[in-house]
Amino acid sequence: MKSESRLDPKLVEEILKFNKNVMDAPKLVPAPDEITLEVTPHDVALEIDKARLLHYKPLTDKQHKTPLLISYALINRYHILDIQPEKSWVRNLVQQGFDVYMLDWGSPTAMDKYLDFDDYINGYLDGSVEFIKNESSVEKISLQGYCTGATLATAYTTLHPESVKNYIATAPVIDGWRDTTVISNLAKNMDVDKMVETIGNMPPEFMYYCFSVLKPFEQGIEKYVKFFKNIDNKKFVDNFLRVEKWLSDTPPIPGELFKQWIKDIYQDNLLIQNKMYVNNSHIDLKKIDMPIFTQVAVGDHLVSPECSMPLHYAVGSEDKTLRMYPTGHVGMIASSLSQKKVLPELGQWLLERS
Amino acid sequence: MSSKPQALGSTGPMRAFAANSKKVSTELIEINENLMGFNKFLTEYYKQLAETWNEAQKKVNLKAPEVPQDVEQIEAFKRIWIDIFDNDFTELFDSKKFGENYGKLVSKELELTKHWNNITNVILQSVNLPSKEEIDEVYKELHSLKKRITKLEIESKKGSAKNEK
Repeated sequence: MKSESRLDPKLVEEILKFNKNVMDAPKLVPAPDEITLEVTPHDVALEIDKARLLHYKPLTDKQHKTPLLISYALINRYHILDIQPEKSWVRNLVQQGFDVYMLDWGSPTAMDKYLDFDDYINGYLDGSVEFIKNESSVEKISLQGYCTGATLATAYTTLHPESVKNYIATAPVIDGWRDTTVISNLAKNMDVDKMVETIGNMPPEFMYYCFSVLKPFEQGIEKYVKFFKNIDNKKFVDNFLRVEKWLSDTPPIPGELFKQWIKDIYQDNLLIQNKMYVNNSHIDLKKIDMPIFTQVAVGDHLVSPECSMPLHYAVGSEDKTLRMYPTGHVGMIASSLSQKKVLPELGQWLLERS
Repeated sequence: MSSKPQALGSTGPMRAFAANSKKVSTELIEINENLMGFNKFLTEYYKQLAETWNEAQKKVNLKAPEVPQDVEQIEAFKRIWIDIFDNDFTELFDSKKFGENYGKLVSKELELTKHWNNITNVILQSVNLPSKEEIDEVYKELHSLKKRITKLEIESKKGSAKNEK
């Protein structure tokens, strides 16, 4: 009897190759601790509690006068802005001649559960800004906020407009009610008082869960299939592992800060309505009257463009620019598109105002 | 000496534990009640996931009824499968029914944690260690002191700068 197989030999070959790649992976892939995420040389210029102010070493002979401080997000760590030389946000700006500082918020422990917006804005951010002003002998600096770091930077800029010459808001979390992401849906239904009272800081595992529901099949299956298919491609593997290492490094978020964050931004949406207060000081977006550059990613599934764009219309500035890029939340800051399009545009904008 | 037998064990752990043992029983009873609520929302959580999975699979079957036979077909099938599943699950995670149930599930989980904390506190007290609330008070005090010190430091710096002028 003749048996007829309809299986394509190429398919069998593919399956066997994939199997081999999976088997070979431990030999070809470095362990996470063998990967160094900080690629651009820097010094720790200042330490306030667990927060560190990083100062990047110049890569050009001449630097523009106004220093730039980057306020990174509260989720994961700052490494994504300096993930690898060819995709480093920081390195690109340093190579354009900017004097770049970045705030690493550190990893809060149980005893930091009472840290709140006031500590982050009027403590760590303001302390860093004052330090930079002193070091550089300038009256004002340029400030960039990314994601949740932009919410903090926005609030800071309304409270201390005299210290900010230019403000850049990259995928800022501003209008919680307009946010169309899954994160916002989970945040709106959270009993955040009970959560903070019971467990203190927001545990990293909870953040992992929130991220795991974002494009679960693309991120949970396809991403890893691609990884094993490309196991021989050193550049691909290196890039993949760097991002994976960054993703897995999620520090807890201080309880009080998280509570204010969820309530004021996602549940009551106070910031965009100019009803938010930080330590009894009113956060009035109209007080942002310096040049402002808002960067939004069309495919952002962490902070939807509808959540970020209202900032552009709410501020008091006359010199304001809004740019939308055809990429995602991370793609906007760590991709070839960010190197070729987003950063040159930002550099030009800053240069004209520095 | 023999008329005050309770004093004999006053420095050991069992006296303090025995004095609070009723609290432990109450907490355990409440944990049981909570578990029922937790299971209700957990069941609903998995029901929503299973229903979404089934619906998404039906859509995939309609769109790609043939069993893929070669590499290109498998790639195309995989793309359809991932797109449909991602869309349907994102729709679920974005829905009011998922958000509400998930919020209640987490809330019940927190209540369980709270009861567990209360039981742990009884044990901590029995060995003369501070409870979670007492440690929280210390953290709060430390936080407030740090703030006051920072404020004073800033004011002192401003004062020194004025004096220098």
